[in-house]
Amino acid sequence: MTTPLDGRPGAEGEGRRTAFGIALSIDPRISIPGLGQSTGSDTADRESQIRLDDDGELDRRWQALTAAPTRARELRFGETLLLSVDFAEAAGYLLWTRDFGRVLISPDGLELLCEPDPANEDWASILAAQALPLAATIRGLEVFHASGIVLEDRALLISGPPGAGKSSLAAALVRAGGRLLSDDAVALQLDTDELIAHAGAAMLQLRDVEDRRLSEGERIALGRPTSSSEGKRRYLSDGAADPVPLGGLFLIERSAAEPAIERLEAVDPFALIASTFNLSVRTPARLRRQLDVVSAIASHGLAYRLRVQPGVDATRLAAIVQAQFAVVSR
Amino acid sequence: MSQLSDQELLNARARLPQHVVHRSFVAETVVLNLRTGKYHGLNPTAGRMLDALEASPTVGAAVPELAGEYGLEQERIQSDLLTLTRGLLERGLIVTADDDAA
Repeated sequence: MTTPLDGRPGAEGEGRRTAFGIALSIDPRISIPGLGQSTGSDTADRESQIRLDDDGELDRRWQALTAAPTRARELRFGETLLLSVDFAEAAGYLLWTRDFGRVLISPDGLELLCEPDPANEDWASILAAQALPLAATIRGLEVFHASGIVLEDRALLISGPPGAGKSSLAAALVRAGGRLLSDDAVALQLDTDELIAHAGAAMLQLRDVEDRRLSEGERIALGRPTSSSEGKRRYLSDGAADPVPLGGLFLIERSAAEPAIERLEAVDPFALIASTFNLSVRTPARLRRQLDVVSAIASHGLAYRLRVQPGVDATRLAAIVQAQFAVVSR
Repeated sequence: MSQLSDQELLNARARLPQHVVHRSFVAETVVLNLRTGKYHGLNPTAGRMLDALEASPTVGAAVPELAGEYGLEQERIQSDLLTLTRGLLERGLIVTADDDAA
């Protein structure tokens, strides 16, 4: 069954939206907070359609496969499988996430067929977190696992291992006047010789302990509080930032020394490759593009090391980053 | 191809197959096999040798130019170049020109 898509204006998530550089047409019953409005400037001409599976179509397509799918990726916590991506050339990428449900993404990334876990009313968050970055990768963008902020009309991407402080720094930069691209994943498009950054979902997640330290005014600057779960508080920005040129990719490195920013003249290309988001799409076109984007970041001198002390005050760090970025991004 | 003698290898033309791409960075050259999805890192000297292999009509023809660049004896360069060439051949990152496997 095809869900009618009427594009009516109305509740959050309806109609034409954009994320990770691709235009989206979204089933009115699905709400994905924090997506931008489609302006027609998206990299891909055709919309990717996101719709609910009402009649078991996902299962029918998957069960009709004549060749066994391959496991492209899985994520475990101990023995427990949390996420998997299976690929079949005829049907596409089947994303399964524990407690969220399944999304079948067509081989061309133009359709996302959703079978939510009915017990989880927040199931659609998996679309912004996993399914849309995957669809964007299929459609020709390179998604980085990074927080992204627009400062002075340039994108600042902050990459680092989990717990390195990406979201905290992003939140502090938003409080200082930056505009949020995403706190977890940002798409880059190599346009001739320029790298353009595209927003994901404009949603910030702050650890409760950090959130409690903020003043009321600082919370207001982060946007509208939406929900709390797993020890994190979420804030929804007013809207996702428009695409802007990449000004720098900052790789966080723990250090005992004072915070400092250093341009990486001889950046380790494998560190940049490791910062890319999606491990499931291994087509030759994607692999080549991934290398081209990484090469462009290095050759344009856009890679920086950001040394931070454990426990450094995020507001102070943001001030240092903001001042340095104003210098280096010009 | 690993069975070629040194002389046969020096007389052969090495080239990258279509499914292998490489990009040069300041301190490293990344070679990517698009069929396997495997990345390989070459240090700057090996990266320069790969460039020379691609540009030269034969493996041996690359030796004088590299020896001049690095200010080393040709025998030394030839030995290093043969070692690198065999390593790249074994990993499927280059083929000799008459290799149909490309």
